[in-house]
Amino acid sequence: MLNFILRRLAIAIPTILVIILFSFLLMHSAPGGPFTAERKLPPEVLANVEKKYGLDKPLYQQIGVYVKNVVTDFDFGPSFKYKNLTVNEIIASGFPVTLVYGMWSFLFATIIGVSLGVIAALKHNTWLDYLATSTAIIGSVLPNFVMAPLLVLLFTVYLNWLPGGGWEGGQWQFIIMPVIALATSYLASIARITRSSMLEVLNSNFIRTARSKGLPTHYIILHHALKPAMLPVLTSLGLSFVGMVTGSVIIDQYFSTGGIGQHFVNAALNRDYSVIMGVTILVGTLTIVFNLLVEILYAWIDPRIRY
Amino acid sequence: MDRPQNSLLIVMYVDNIKIQTLADNLSDGSEIEGRSLWQDARHRFFKNKAALISLITLSLIVLFAFVGPQFSPWDYEEIDWDAMGDVQVLGAPSFASGHYFGTDDLGRDLYSRVIQGTQISLMVGLIGSFIAVVVGTLYGAIAGYLGGRIDSAMMRTVDILMAIPFMFVLILLMVMFGRSIFMIFIGIGLLSWLDMSRIIRGQTLSLKNKEFIEAAIATGVKPFTIVTRHIVPNVLGIVVVYATLLVPGMIMTESFISFLGLGVQEPQTSWGALINEGARTLQNGTLWQLLFPLFFFITTLLSFFFIGDGLRDALDPKDR
Repeated sequence: MLNFILRRLAIAIPTILVIILFSFLLMHSAPGGPFTAERKLPPEVLANVEKKYGLDKPLYQQIGVYVKNVVTDFDFGPSFKYKNLTVNEIIASGFPVTLVYGMWSFLFATIIGVSLGVIAALKHNTWLDYLATSTAIIGSVLPNFVMAPLLVLLFTVYLNWLPGGGWEGGQWQFIIMPVIALATSYLASIARITRSSMLEVLNSNFIRTARSKGLPTHYIILHHALKPAMLPVLTSLGLSFVGMVTGSVIIDQYFSTGGIGQHFVNAALNRDYSVIMGVTILVGTLTIVFNLLVEILYAWIDPRIRY
Repeated sequence: MDRPQNSLLIVMYVDNIKIQTLADNLSDGSEIEGRSLWQDARHRFFKNKAALISLITLSLIVLFAFVGPQFSPWDYEEIDWDAMGDVQVLGAPSFASGHYFGTDDLGRDLYSRVIQGTQISLMVGLIGSFIAVVVGTLYGAIAGYLGGRIDSAMMRTVDILMAIPFMFVLILLMVMFGRSIFMIFIGIGLLSWLDMSRIIRGQTLSLKNKEFIEAAIATGVKPFTIVTRHIVPNVLGIVVVYATLLVPGMIMTESFISFLGLGVQEPQTSWGALINEGARTLQNGTLWQLLFPLFFFITTLLSFFFIGDGLRDALDPKDR
């Protein structure tokens, strides 16, 4: 097991370096720098500013310094747009917000999705199954940018129950709509995967054996069926987590939560190189770490997998 | 699960008519035409009601996207100055004013804009999937067929590319190199083939030890020709199913970008951009701005979903 983890880490770390390099090169190949904005700066001022941010050095030196700072001190440098803020401060202000509703959506999608899938599989070809299946199908065509305006239409414009945006330190009224909007499509896909995987397990020989030796149904489901059926779901949970972080770009923008996505879009529009790179690297690293965790969990749950 | 019924039907059918014709055919010496794999699949697909209805719906939407402009007195970028003054009342959907779907808050005809958006979104979906299919199939088949070091190097590259946060890179591309449909194609095409290549590689691995490949090698066929002539045609079923499921994904990605206001450039539009406009003007009570594009978006996605499902059942019957 330790060997396996080490081997995966040996792949994960170069991958993170590639992401850093990739976003760095992408940034620098782009036409227009952060200081070529509306007002044209005099050349000597521009030279000074570029010197301050180290933009006058050759490219390989810039990369070297940047990678070293990121890897050794988790320091993404200063923001190019907001002179008195560092990238770390910007991320620190936005990321907790994203994390709060991201975690709630993750829980919501997982719990409801898995329950829907299990119920649909247990009541195969009954009205409950059809209800759950159609919920899953409809949910899969309702991505966050469709759900968000529909929820606002219902809960803010018509019912006037919930505020249409804002965060206010994360009070519950402000969390509900972002969570539902973000979770719906993942809930749907989790439910679909759970259902088909559960059906497959329920039709397998060892469940038939358990039935024929007279075990009570709930015992079969809890002790025999659920664990193997959850394996494919686990893979999709890793992807869902990543998707939720990405989806936050829309949610943050639409609900003005002040999360990481909003900072990212603003930074992209302002060509704030360091913030863009910081967020991209952070999300990329999280993706890799989460996939690694899922793989380890997989190996731990399923004894058949030997690495 | 309907197999017993089916076989019963077949038995009865065979009993009544087939035997007779078979006997006739055999006696006059002509051959019975066998059904190919694809004919079988088509037969199964057309028996699937949801898939068939979806196919018809989708055809209607495509038809609408190309014939629709003939019926509208307004162009998609033309501004109706009267309606612009009072969008809530004069911009509402009505046949009298020629704005069948109403207008947007700039007084532009929503019917024509929805058609324009439909064209762009469908085009992005189809071309994006086409790139993904071609690149992904070839890449996966080559990696799987060659195997060994080349395979692991190629698949490691895919692993690394997959870890890059796709949506963020796409947003970056749009911001850095200007917003245009061309950039959307490049961005989507660059990153969407990864899943495809993995699936095809897995299929190729199980195919390449089959006898007919061995026969091809023995007769001296070159590796690249083996991939294109023998491997790719055999994975085509899966490619078709996956491509159908890829189209809604592409459309969603484009809409995601356009919803942020980073996608297609005005006055051109797409479903995502239209939904975004509808969502921003929600408070004005001009509900049609949200609901018409949303209707087309959801209907098309659902159709692709059911068609993909139907194709999977049709082409891969053992996977029921």
